[in-house]
Amino acid sequence: MELLDWSLISSTIRMVTPILLAALGGALCARVGIFNVGLEGLVLVGAFSAIVGNHFTGSLFLAVLFAALVCVLFSWLFAYMTIGLRANEIVVGVAINFLALGLTTFALRAIFGVKGAFYDKEMAGLPKLDIPVIGDIPVLGDIFSGHSVLVYLAFLAAILLYLFFYRTVAGFRVLAVGLNPVAARSLGLKVTGLQVLAISMCGVLCGLAGAQLSLGQVTMFTEGMTAGRGFIALVAMMMGQSHPLGILASSFLFGLMDALSIRLQGFSLPTQFTSMLPYLLTIVAMFFVKEKSRAGSNQQSSR
Amino acid sequence: MAAVRELCKSLVQPILAVVIGLLTGAVVIAAVGESVIGTYQEMWKGAFGSFYFFTSTLARATPIMLIALGLALAFRAGVFNMGAEGQMVLGAVSAALVAIYLPGPGVVKMLAGLVAGIAAGGLWSLLAGYMEAKFRIPLLISTLLFNYIAVLFASYLVTEPFRDRSGSAALAQTVMLDKSVWLPKLFAGMSVHAGFFFAIAAALILFWVIRYTPFGYEVKMLGQNPFFARYGGINQIKVMLAGMFASGGLAGLAGTVEVLGSHYRFVDGALTVPNFAWTGMMATLLAGSHPIGIVFTSILLAAFQTGAMGVERNTEVPLELASVIQAVLILFISARFSYDWWKKRKAKGGETHGAA
Repeated sequence: MELLDWSLISSTIRMVTPILLAALGGALCARVGIFNVGLEGLVLVGAFSAIVGNHFTGSLFLAVLFAALVCVLFSWLFAYMTIGLRANEIVVGVAINFLALGLTTFALRAIFGVKGAFYDKEMAGLPKLDIPVIGDIPVLGDIFSGHSVLVYLAFLAAILLYLFFYRTVAGFRVLAVGLNPVAARSLGLKVTGLQVLAISMCGVLCGLAGAQLSLGQVTMFTEGMTAGRGFIALVAMMMGQSHPLGILASSFLFGLMDALSIRLQGFSLPTQFTSMLPYLLTIVAMFFVKEKSRAGSNQQSSR
Repeated sequence: MAAVRELCKSLVQPILAVVIGLLTGAVVIAAVGESVIGTYQEMWKGAFGSFYFFTSTLARATPIMLIALGLALAFRAGVFNMGAEGQMVLGAVSAALVAIYLPGPGVVKMLAGLVAGIAAGGLWSLLAGYMEAKFRIPLLISTLLFNYIAVLFASYLVTEPFRDRSGSAALAQTVMLDKSVWLPKLFAGMSVHAGFFFAIAAALILFWVIRYTPFGYEVKMLGQNPFFARYGGINQIKVMLAGMFASGGLAGLAGTVEVLGSHYRFVDGALTVPNFAWTGMMATLLAGSHPIGIVFTSILLAAFQTGAMGVERNTEVPLELASVIQAVLILFISARFSYDWWKKRKAKGGETHGAA
């Protein structure tokens, strides 16, 4: 196996999808002034409920819908705690992650009676979409064709979100809330409503991210299968400065590292070092993005 | 009288949160069709039912307590150290390797192991602090990322160069420590070990530091109002770095006592699977970063976990019941203490600030 070839790009696109979706969700929250550390937990819940939905309905469409719905409910918990009860969003985010890990593992045993992982041979994964004309072109076909619907949806979401933020009135309102909630409120904007809406949308996106993880790539659920991707998404969001296209670029970087680390395992490198790659790269990348990201939106560092 | 009333007032919210947590647990138990009362009885028995189970709870509380104390110091300084897991694992693997490969008598090896564990955890944490101070890389993110790197690196050390190849090949682990290096048990045949004393001592020392030393005052200033601290002539960066080192060092010590006192070797995953780090964070939050309070909240959370093991042994309810209860608990606790903090902020009209 070659280290670099066109199928690497193709697997990068698959890997990038959950990160991109979650990061866009995080960006929506960041744009209304809420720093959502709970992405990891939300994606995990999405991954699990997608499997549950698929198992009980047998319909992939309903499964994805169910994942999004459950994630919205879960994100309302986050919204209620942070906006309603004014709890510290970081603490709530951490708790959400914990709750997601506990609940999914618990439900895995309660619903399927298994520990560790659930796999069902009967269960179908998300279908691969072959694009008519492009699919037949040699290199382009390998890269752009044959992904699940959610992959295309993720890239579409990035573009839509960009148009939403910078081309629509509602988008400007959202940005205004994030920049200065008090001023936005004095203009008569429904700050709380917009915040809840953003968090709900974040839930939908995280649900899709989870569905792509559990149904798009492997058709199974394992405990804690997000493996830090939610946190990577958080970093991708910060690196992309909550700008949809910036996030697209930074998510791509992480997806590439993810794909590369799997490929490198075929070589004689110890797996621990290859798995370390995305995290190391993230840290290196943060040396270059620090200042602007915190001026751009209302997110803070720990101090 | 006023002091008693103050104490009662500060206890109301945690107790309320515990009650809500238990109620949520009851709903979950009922959802899987088990008896709520019976399950909680098993939980109580598993945690405190006999002297043996009680000491197991204390043994489990030990690393949680140490990590929580470290985090409490960081939180008090207004620093979100999310990297306890990596700091703990790196401390544990360093302690194990030093205690195994350093030549010398047992006591020397044990002490060297303790020092190495604290130093490794502390320096790893300090690196994140340094990156924040020097390059403005948010600690919240860097410490999280450092977890993965530390855990993977430790895992590499015991699967490749330092692996025990004599025994069963299934587990990635170092060789057994020499008996002379082991931390003594407090009671023969029971699992609680001398590390528990370290944790209690650390709690008392931290209480003293926070209350009576200039450093404690500086930490408090920095955490409550960084702007005032700056005008007050406090070297913010120095205090932050010292706080990070102490907080990481305590996490490293937590891993070290687990290695020297209960596993007697570094086993890959033995410290990450029980989720000591995040439980420690919850213990801190539950206690409102109060060192003496942490002693009790750590034992409480450990009791949930050992109790849940009893539940799993004797009923059909899965172990993860404990993490569900804990997460609910923390959600309601967070609502409380940041609410106070938010009110203070609002009154000052200051900008939002990311720490509790």
